[in-house]
Amino acid sequence: MHDRLMALAAELTAKGEVPVGPCPDPVNAAMIRNWTQTLGDPNPLWAEYAPPAMIQVWSMPGLGPRRPAVSEPALAMLHEAGYTGIVATDCEQTYDRYLRLGEELRITLRLGDVVGPKQTALGEGYFVTWYQTWYAGDERVAEMLFRVLKFRPRDSGGAAPSPDGRYPLRPAVNADTRFFWEGVEAGELRIQRCAECGELRHPPGPMCPHCHATKRDHVTASGRGVVHSYVVHHHPPVPGQRSPFVVALVELEEGVRMVGNLLGCTRDDVRIGMPVELSFQRMDDELTLPQWRPAGAVPEETAAPQEAQVAGGPALRIELTPTFVISTALATRDFMPVHHDPARARAQGSKDIFLNILTTMGLVQRCALDLVPDARLSGIAIRLGVPAYAGETLVLTGHRSGDHTLEVRGAVSLGDHVTATVRLKEPA
Amino acid sequence: MTISGRAAIAGIGATEFSKESGRSELQLAAEACIAAIKDAGLTPSDVDGLVTFTQDANSEIAVARELGIPELNFFSRVDYGGGAACGTVAHAAMAVASGQAETVVCYRAFNERSGHRFGQASTRSTPGTTTLEFSWHLPYGFATPAAWVAMQARRYMHEYGATSEDFGRVAVAMRRHAATNPKAWFHDRPITLEEHQASRWVVEPLHLFDCCQESDGGVAIVVTGADRARDLAHPPAMVRAAAQGAGPNQMMMFGYYETDVAALPAMGVVGRSLWSRSGLGPADVQTAILYDHFTPFVLMQLEELGFCDRGEAKDLVADGGIELGGRLPVNPNGGQLGEAYIHGMNGIAEAVRQIRGTSVNQVPEVENVLVTAGTGVPTSGLILGRDE
Repeated sequence: MHDRLMALAAELTAKGEVPVGPCPDPVNAAMIRNWTQTLGDPNPLWAEYAPPAMIQVWSMPGLGPRRPAVSEPALAMLHEAGYTGIVATDCEQTYDRYLRLGEELRITLRLGDVVGPKQTALGEGYFVTWYQTWYAGDERVAEMLFRVLKFRPRDSGGAAPSPDGRYPLRPAVNADTRFFWEGVEAGELRIQRCAECGELRHPPGPMCPHCHATKRDHVTASGRGVVHSYVVHHHPPVPGQRSPFVVALVELEEGVRMVGNLLGCTRDDVRIGMPVELSFQRMDDELTLPQWRPAGAVPEETAAPQEAQVAGGPALRIELTPTFVISTALATRDFMPVHHDPARARAQGSKDIFLNILTTMGLVQRCALDLVPDARLSGIAIRLGVPAYAGETLVLTGHRSGDHTLEVRGAVSLGDHVTATVRLKEPA
Repeated sequence: MTISGRAAIAGIGATEFSKESGRSELQLAAEACIAAIKDAGLTPSDVDGLVTFTQDANSEIAVARELGIPELNFFSRVDYGGGAACGTVAHAAMAVASGQAETVVCYRAFNERSGHRFGQASTRSTPGTTTLEFSWHLPYGFATPAAWVAMQARRYMHEYGATSEDFGRVAVAMRRHAATNPKAWFHDRPITLEEHQASRWVVEPLHLFDCCQESDGGVAIVVTGADRARDLAHPPAMVRAAAQGAGPNQMMMFGYYETDVAALPAMGVVGRSLWSRSGLGPADVQTAILYDHFTPFVLMQLEELGFCDRGEAKDLVADGGIELGGRLPVNPNGGQLGEAYIHGMNGIAEAVRQIRGTSVNQVPEVENVLVTAGTGVPTSGLILGRDE
């Protein structure tokens, strides 16, 4: 696979810049107003110019047809080879100049490179980098580097797709169990409850063994439990699973037990009695499984000490209400369901809806201009950390790190959401 | 009416035990059956009933055709994998005691090593409720018998302080017994506890040597009325009691949801039935054949059957209590860990040899032998005794 991937990457890179076409709308006051209102950025400069960090918004397809991305063949090859995980790691924007109302833009795409395999905290993976370039007529006005890590999930229970891309171990579902799997799709863990005597029961069945009623409903589990017993599977190979993996019998807070994989935890860390919490794992386009993680665990590569605040300017505190997360996603023309639909976000393994990258860019810009109000930005480079979920508070702090640079850091309770370097055109 | 004392095992037969039989499962079944019938001093025309496992690929009529059995009055199957073993004898004994049949052959034959191996991961299961039951487990890669047993074993270790070495002592004892049994696959190949500990993980906490082997072979057992058995070639092994059992909220092999995970409730049901129906108790059996597909369940069976208190099986085993010469020699043939894995049926044959006094690892002065079938599943058991 590696040699084929490298050959494909070379072929795609050799194509150079591929024209994609004009942006849907000219730079306009309405979209700028939506953006500045939702991001809470009333800078008077944005009456004259478009905010530079808004550059990607102009070319977002929105709900229109998706344009073929230059990186897609490489990402697809990786996906088929078992590198099913994807996470954005870097985004660097360079602004040649600020844009004025009425300017019409077009974009091109080109593949940068494909580098790997690399061992990362998430698992073995390849970094795929591509560039998007904005032009006004023939004049380049901005460029963006975007890098993702396409990785083979190291988590136990990581989905290894069968040749047809479907996870091979699928539950059978009938009239008695459908509510459970529908719940999983909706991001809920449901426990059958007898509608007569209230007895909870898992696995579910058609007749209450206590009072023999057939009328039933369900409760939604809190998602908290403890490991009642567990195994570490080594042999023989199991289709769809990578050994060793942990299977746990979890005793839920509600009193019933359930079997699932324990993710995000090495076999040496598992103990009977350890608290775990629910985590939905997307196995393929159609199947999600309820899984378990150590309670309160933070992915290791992103855990950062809270007190390591960057010294410098005043902190910008953003309460990430659902309204903020959703309205900023829409104002940046990002309609991915993970930014507005909690059920879909959970179904993809997220705790909740989370801030989109275009908004993160805008908030970094806002923080930088709070610190140096008269500055003209020539670029923003961000490294992405933990997701910024709805319900969190994002605290942005910044400081000067050179004549032409500012460092900005945005943290949530899980750790750093973003670390950024902001480049300035001239010393302010 | 009780079957106790009304039915007996009059014949036993088996093929060789191997890893590749080189012939069809039907041939194995036919060979085992004809050997058992001849061992009893009978001919196929004396047989009018056949019983096997639901999982067996050889239908009763197919076996009857091969053996030339002219007419069948009784045929029956017992479900739940290895849990069926003693159940086949229970069904046969009920048939002869009630007059439904005169002589019934119970058989089990498979190419479990060279053909379909149970130890591999299940990715699909049989239709019906079993499919739904498995659907709470298979999607998580929780797909092998070793894994299902390991889940209970881990909890058992937690509750009672048992260790991997305690499981290992069972394997060492079984391999020691097999070492002096020429019919055993592991004849002359004993292992040490260190070798057990060094064997690779299959599913933690189970090492490779905690798991029984996979075998090709067939075993057959001839059951007939007690009076008729007394006229045949060997002293009868009287059926003192036969029982089947399933526990509360029983599933195929996942007793995880309401009951004690560190126990085998179905075996408790079988044990209580066997003792009450036979009027015997643990002190009345001189040797036991305990289903040993995985070592931890041997410990838990000793407790369920009342040979020791809960959590104390490890002490019984540590003292050499289950070895030849010990307080309760278990599986003198080497069991499924040492002799062969024929779904428990080879253990019934060993129990008959112990009653007859013809085992290669004969326990002295055997009056009664307790035999169990598959554990973790709905199961069955027998107490066989010498004719008085």
